[in-house]
Amino acid sequence: MSENVAVAEKPLEILLIDDDLDRASAFRSALDRSRYRLSHLVSSRTSLLKEVDKLKPDIIVIDIESPDRDILESLSTLSNFNPKPVVMFCEQEDTGLINQSVQSGVSAYVVGEVSSARVRSILDAAVARFNQYQSLKQELSETKRKLDSRRLVDKAKSLLMQKKAMSEEQAFNSIRKMAMDTGQRMEDVARTLITLISTLDN
Amino acid sequence: MLKLEKTHLQIGFMPLTDAAPLVVARERGLFERFGLQVELKKQNSWATLRDKLQAGMLDAAQMLAPMPLASSLGLGGIKAELITPFVLSFNGNGITLSERLYQQICQVSHADPAVPPLPLPADLIGKVALARREAGQGPLRFATVFPYSCHYYQLCHWLQSGGVQIGRDVAIQVIPPTSMVAALHEGIIEGYCVGGPWNAKAVRSGLGVTVVTSCDIWPDSPEKVLGLTADWQERHPNTTLALLGALQQACQWLESVANRFEAARILTRSEYLNADLDVVAPALLGSCLVHKDLGPRSVPAYNRFCAMGDDGSNQPKIAYARNLLAQMERVGHISPGQASEELAFRVYRPDLYSQMRDSLLADHASARQPGSGVMPGK
Repeated sequence: MSENVAVAEKPLEILLIDDDLDRASAFRSALDRSRYRLSHLVSSRTSLLKEVDKLKPDIIVIDIESPDRDILESLSTLSNFNPKPVVMFCEQEDTGLINQSVQSGVSAYVVGEVSSARVRSILDAAVARFNQYQSLKQELSETKRKLDSRRLVDKAKSLLMQKKAMSEEQAFNSIRKMAMDTGQRMEDVARTLITLISTLDN
Repeated sequence: MLKLEKTHLQIGFMPLTDAAPLVVARERGLFERFGLQVELKKQNSWATLRDKLQAGMLDAAQMLAPMPLASSLGLGGIKAELITPFVLSFNGNGITLSERLYQQICQVSHADPAVPPLPLPADLIGKVALARREAGQGPLRFATVFPYSCHYYQLCHWLQSGGVQIGRDVAIQVIPPTSMVAALHEGIIEGYCVGGPWNAKAVRSGLGVTVVTSCDIWPDSPEKVLGLTADWQERHPNTTLALLGALQQACQWLESVANRFEAARILTRSEYLNADLDVVAPALLGSCLVHKDLGPRSVPAYNRFCAMGDDGSNQPKIAYARNLLAQMERVGHISPGQASEELAFRVYRPDLYSQMRDSLLADHASARQPGSGVMPGK
C-alpha cells in the first residue's frame, strides 16, 4: 500500500508489555531489521505511565490478560496522553472478544504464534487502521465544530435582523466585516454579538 | 418451578475481598440449589472483564457500580448496553497514605503521629500540597484502580472536601490493585484508594497508613454490582432470577459475623484472592487496620453485603444510579446532558430484583415445606 511506504521511513517505537518472556523474545526477533523498534516491559510493574511518558511509543502491544490493561484504558480518560494504537495478544479461542473489540477501532490482535511476516503485517494494519480511525474522528469533530459555528452565526444574524432591521445579507456582511476588521473568526464575532445584544436587552 | 434457559454459567470476578458473595454462593452450593452450575473465572483487569462480558464470553460479572452505566454510554471500550439487577456489596474501599506522607501531615498539622485524627480531614493533604507548591515541587501522586470506579469518585470527593484541587495539588493515576503496595513502596505514588485486601496489605507490610474508609466518605453506598448485558438478560429471564436468588442467599449468609470469618478463610485460597488471612479477615470483621504500630479502628460497616436498614436488600435502586451519574458529571466524565433519568432506569433494574424476591424466594420457601414440590436443581 502506498500510504504505508510513505510512513515506512521513520522507525516506529513499540512498547511491549508481556510477562511471557519467550513470546517477548520471539516478538523481538520477528521485528528484527524492520521499521519497528521494540522496548519490552514486564507487566504489573508500577512504572508503566513513566515508561509511556519517556518512550512516547507509537504502538503499545499488551497481553489481553495483563493487569496493566486498566492503566492503558485510563490514559485517555485521566491524563492527556495522545491516543495510541493498542495491539493485544489473545488466545485463539477468544474470537468473540476480538470481533467485538476490533469494532472500537483502535485495536488489532495477535492470535497464536508470533512469526515475523505475520507480526509485521498485523502491526502495519494496526497503524493504518488507527490512523484511519483518528482521521475519521478528527473529521467528525471538525464537522461538528463547523455546524456549531454556523449555528452561532445564524443566531447573531437573526438578532441583527430583528434589532437593527437589517436584511439577511446585510447582517451576514456586517458580521463578516467585523471579523475581518478585528482579525477574529466569524463565530467569535457572532458569540460576542449574541452576548452583547442579550446583555443590552436585559 | 421456573424453567431455566441456561444452567451452566461462567461468571467473571476480580480477586478482591468483596468478591465474597460469588465465592460463597459457589462454595456453599447455593448456585446448585437454584439449579445452576457456575464456574467462577478470575480476571486480571476491569477492562478485559468488561470486554469479555460484552462479547458474551462471560455470562455475568462482578463489576464496579459505575461500569454498567459507563458501558451503556460508551465510555472507554465499545458502547454496549449493560444492566445490573443486583448489588453485590456496599462500601469496602479505603484510602491509604505512604508512611512518608503521613509523617509530613503530622508535621504540618503539629499532630501526634501516635494519635491520628480518624477519619483524616482532607485539608491536611491540602496543607502538604501547599508546602510542596511553595517549595516548587509537583502535585502529590495518588492512584486508584479504574477511571469509572467509586474509588475514583470517592477519592476526588474526599480530597475536594478539604479544598484540595485535583491536578494542581494531587494528580491521580490508575494502577492495578495488585501493584498498589509496590507503587507505594517504590515512591511512585504517595497514596491510593482501593478495596480489600490492599489497604490491610500495606499496613501489615509497614508501608502505609489507612486514614479513611469509603463509608466515612459515602455512608452505605453500592460498590460492586452484578453486571449482565441487556441482551443476555432478555434471552435468559429465568436464569437471571435463579442467579439472583442464589446471590441473595449468599449475601444473607454473609450478614453473620461468624460466617464472615469462614468466608475470609475461603477467600484466601489460591483460586480466589491467594492472600493471607491476616489481610483478608479484618475488613470483613469490621476492623480497619490503620498503622503497623497502632491498634485497628472499628468500622462495623467497612464491608457490607446487604444495604443497611430498611429491608436489608440488594436491590439496585434508581437513586444509586442517579448518584453515580451525578459523580461522573462532577468529575467531568460525562457532560450534563448525558446523565438522564432514562439511562438510570435502563441500567439499574430494581424491577428484576423485585421479581426475584416475589417469585423465586417464595417458590424456594414453599419447596422447603415437606411434600410441597421439588427443590430446583435436585
